[in-house]
Amino acid sequence: MFRVMLWGQWKWSRLVIALGSVAAFTLPVLSVRGTASVDRFPVPPAEFLGRVGSWGALYPILAATLGLLVAMAAWAPDHRGRHVHALSLPIPRWRYAFYRFGAGVVLLCVPLVALLIGALLATATVTPPAGIHAYPVALTIRFALALLIAFAVIFAVSGGTARTAGFILSLIAALIVLQVVASVANVELDMVNRLQTIFIGWAGPFAVFNGRWMLFDV
Amino acid sequence: MFSQIDARSATPLYDQIAARLRIAIAAGELVAGEGLPSVRQLASQLRINPATVAQAYRDLEADGFVEMRQGAGTFVSDVAQEGRQQERRRHAVHLVRKMVAEAGRLRISPEELRAAFTEVLGSRSK
Amino acid sequence: MSDAIITAALQYRVGRSFEISHLDLRVPTGAIYGFLGANGSGKTTTIRLLLGLLRARAGTITLLGQPMPARAPEILARVGYVPEQPHLDGTLTVQELLQFQAAFYPGWDWSLAESLLGQFDLDRHRLFGKQSKGQKAKTMMLLALAQRPELLVLDEPTDGLDPVARRDILSALLEFVAQGDATVFISTHLVHELERICDWIGVMDNGHLLVQEPLLQLKRGVKRLQLSGLPAGATPPAPATLLSREVSAPGMETWTVRAWEPPMTGSIAALGATVLMETDLDLEDGFIALLRAFRIGQTR
Repeated sequence: MFRVMLWGQWKWSRLVIALGSVAAFTLPVLSVRGTASVDRFPVPPAEFLGRVGSWGALYPILAATLGLLVAMAAWAPDHRGRHVHALSLPIPRWRYAFYRFGAGVVLLCVPLVALLIGALLATATVTPPAGIHAYPVALTIRFALALLIAFAVIFAVSGGTARTAGFILSLIAALIVLQVVASVANVELDMVNRLQTIFIGWAGPFAVFNGRWMLFDV
Repeated sequence: MFSQIDARSATPLYDQIAARLRIAIAAGELVAGEGLPSVRQLASQLRINPATVAQAYRDLEADGFVEMRQGAGTFVSDVAQEGRQQERRRHAVHLVRKMVAEAGRLRISPEELRAAFTEVLGSRSK
Repeated sequence: MSDAIITAALQYRVGRSFEISHLDLRVPTGAIYGFLGANGSGKTTTIRLLLGLLRARAGTITLLGQPMPARAPEILARVGYVPEQPHLDGTLTVQELLQFQAAFYPGWDWSLAESLLGQFDLDRHRLFGKQSKGQKAKTMMLLALAQRPELLVLDEPTDGLDPVARRDILSALLEFVAQGDATVFISTHLVHELERICDWIGVMDNGHLLVQEPLLQLKRGVKRLQLSGLPAGATPPAPATLLSREVSAPGMETWTVRAWEPPMTGSIAALGATVLMETDLDLEDGFIALLRAFRIGQTR
């Protein structure tokens, strides 16, 4: 049963997985461009970290995007058919959802491995200045966590009825609109930032998206 | 063969099918020993309930017109001359009854009907 | 197990607009049960309740001897379902859909699937979503039949299809039924189709089950009677019910009745009246008369 479900989800998400894997591979590789020593003068540590670190913001964005898209693709065929097919299958609802989740996780391993390979390649081709170490595995693990969290959250939201998902998304949209209106009216209303601080700043699962993503660090 | 089957008629479908087969056997359209379509085939072909076909076949078997052989199918029995004659007579009466009823509805008198009958049959034997 | 489907006092409501009240369905095993009703009468809602897609407010549902929705996964393994609207993943090919279903149903029969594929003339490599309406309907029927289910629940399976597709689907269905003792619960508003293939009929209107009996019994009992010499306010003897009454002159009435039996002419004579003419109504007229009577509130 899992295999046929995985196949269906693969068909839905293969473009996303392919592009995401390319992006995941290229990101670390690109981030070390321009850090190779010039004229046998190694790049000073601060500048090295700066160059590599400037790409850091893209990792959480990629992770969040991949998690989001794969989670949406997981439930897309069911949503189209109003879950009629899934509900008529001889399998408890929780098990069906569990298989869908598992299939998404399996698919997300592809860009994850691509990232690992890219990171290992990047760190292998470059000699960092003294005092700087490479953390390809740590970066990959962090990426894996971010993928999982983004995927799980959107998966849970998407898995509900279209009504629930729509409700939650409209709530978020309403908050954003409210924030925009407030800023236009010059009202001191910093909701998005506050929410962001609550969600991401707080030492909870969303904290993984926060901070700096460093392939190289001290 | 079954183009006249009408689900809307008051006569149950199984009766209609059995009647049609009965007259076909009596008229020699279906010969002794010939195999009839299976319940499954006929139901599928006519798009009617298999139980209806089964009922028709059972009725025919009870009247001695067919034989249902386990595993092999349903086959036309060798109906004696007298049996076939009786069926033809029965069907003829049925046809005439229908005609008389319709004529009655259209206010055609029995005399007019008889005259028409003679005219048509007379011209046919020529 | 004598009945494939039993519901008792089933109730359902959505907001204020729609309700199903005290539904007592009884579908005998091996029957082809036609569930007849106008559009919007609650047929699809009933089917969704039976299969556990919706939760009832009150009442019980027993499918194939087991309670729904408590035992839904076990029961659904033996039930083939063809819904009104195509419900399958449009991005999968017919072959992929077959493989999908095969993985979920223990009774799956590949040789039957292959033979139906040929019979329906479907291209196995075609995406489900790219097929015509008739082909989609055939695919859904194929998937339901190849499971070899004990119970088939079909929601208007031939509605809106061209005659060829309709013929192919019905033929395949009847062939399957003839091979075993599967029960079929088919909801339709196509009276003529129902008349040919069903042996039981349940008539639904506005969330209520008006009639539930063998088809032949219903047909035999539905009559139009022309009577004369009737005393005012006369009614047919029980258990016959009056569906409609037209008074053309004092004592001269045309009745449309249900559950009429020949001996009842005797009771009419006892009233001093005569039955001038007795006509059989076909099922469609009977159905319309039944609905009209219910809506006016004359029946029960």
